[in-house]
Amino acid sequence: MMETRAFDPAVIWQSLPALLSYLDVTLLVALASIVLGSLLGLVLAWAKLSGIRLLRYAAQAYTYGMRCTPSIVLLFLVFYGLPELARAAFHADINGWHRAIYAIITFLLLFGAYISEVFRAAYAAVPRGQYEAAVSIGLTPWQAFRTVLLPQAALIALPNFGNSSINLLKEGALAYTIGLIDLIGKGNLIIAQNYGAYGIEIYLACLLIYWGLVNLVEKGFALLEAQLGKGRTAAVAVTKPVRKRRWLAWCSTFHS
Amino acid sequence: MVLDVSFMKETFGTLWTGVPVTLSLTFLSLVLAAPAAFYAAVLRLHGARWGAGAVRWYVSFVRGTPIILQILLLYSLLPSVLNALVQAAGLPINIFEAVDPFWYAVVVFTLNTIALLSEVFRSALLAIPSGQREAGLSIGLTEVQTYVHIIIPQALTVALPAICNITVNLVKGTSLAFLMTVKDVMAVGKVAAAYGYNYVEAYLDVFVLYLILCTVIQIGYSLLEHRFGRFRQQAA
Repeated sequence: MMETRAFDPAVIWQSLPALLSYLDVTLLVALASIVLGSLLGLVLAWAKLSGIRLLRYAAQAYTYGMRCTPSIVLLFLVFYGLPELARAAFHADINGWHRAIYAIITFLLLFGAYISEVFRAAYAAVPRGQYEAAVSIGLTPWQAFRTVLLPQAALIALPNFGNSSINLLKEGALAYTIGLIDLIGKGNLIIAQNYGAYGIEIYLACLLIYWGLVNLVEKGFALLEAQLGKGRTAAVAVTKPVRKRRWLAWCSTFHS
Repeated sequence: MVLDVSFMKETFGTLWTGVPVTLSLTFLSLVLAAPAAFYAAVLRLHGARWGAGAVRWYVSFVRGTPIILQILLLYSLLPSVLNALVQAAGLPINIFEAVDPFWYAVVVFTLNTIALLSEVFRSALLAIPSGQREAGLSIGLTEVQTYVHIIIPQALTVALPAICNITVNLVKGTSLAFLMTVKDVMAVGKVAAAYGYNYVEAYLDVFVLYLILCTVIQIGYSLLEHRFGRFRQQAA
């Protein structure tokens, strides 16, 4: 029978060190999913922008499907389906794989879909004239893409990239449902060790850790945006000062 | 890998028994959250400093933490709190048996949706020029009348795409309600999966059903958007 026990805030602080020691698992899963998912997103964005209709449709269908899938359904599909697929296709036994790998595969599939839309929109937002200008001064198309279009597109994509990364960090909390011992997995272990007691305190501690983490990441992206956005503000500022133009006009009177 | 097609067909049929639960959970959360979210948005925009600050902290907390943790916390917290309240009142009710976990899920998703909706409402209200409010007041409408007849219809049109997004995410989010032993689509699928170890088939079914649900909802919203946006076309 459940017994009513007084809420003990001290447990929150006492459990923090044990929980934080598993933060690296949570962060590793998130980071790996973001990096690998970004690569998938790049490929998908490229497919969406390509001239081949079939590729375009396939990428769009993939993105749509992922947007309609609850993460937990995909996680279970990957966790149960991938070993069977590997056995059927390659006669390989991957049941021994670490659960973090299944989590990373799931979240990279999701993140790739979300981020491909961000990449595509950012690329489309760079004016066509930028490419034409770059090519007209003698850059090859690849150089124009790498040195002119990509930096601008990256800056446009940054706020949404930050948002998607934070969402992924939060979605990653589901990984404990397939038995990964991450932050929440450890929290559940502590609760189990206490025979189900202190659930409220432990979950509060996890919530506080996530809240702090998300705020930290948000601040990080805001700083990065401010840092990388310097070039952009300068470009705007050049057109502003009137004094310079007056000075130029004064110079030109000299010449004539 | 050979998929058990007959099992998939059968399971797909049984999954539909979870659809009313998923949809009513989504609908109730949205409807219950909307007034509170609207109030929070107005508080954030025009309220006293402590009110606006409280809303900001609430939104930051809800958006800054995984929903699964919110579920785990509230599912351990709510029954105990309710039980304590009932015992304090001296009522002979066993909370742990009397309350359907569905209602805990409604509370969790409503609290979550309030935060998300309040941000949408806030930006939608900001999108309506203040001249609209002044015009309404100047022709003799009260503040409330101006909101009901002038501002909210316009703000709702602006907010509709974002509300569609929230609804789709909510449908997906309610798939976690199985953690609270709610019998939604996901829970039905999970039971079917465990019964004969047909995990892949069952979750593929669940995947397809969510695809259908989300598609129908998005079509519904685009129709609604068309209907609500009529005044724009007339003006043009």
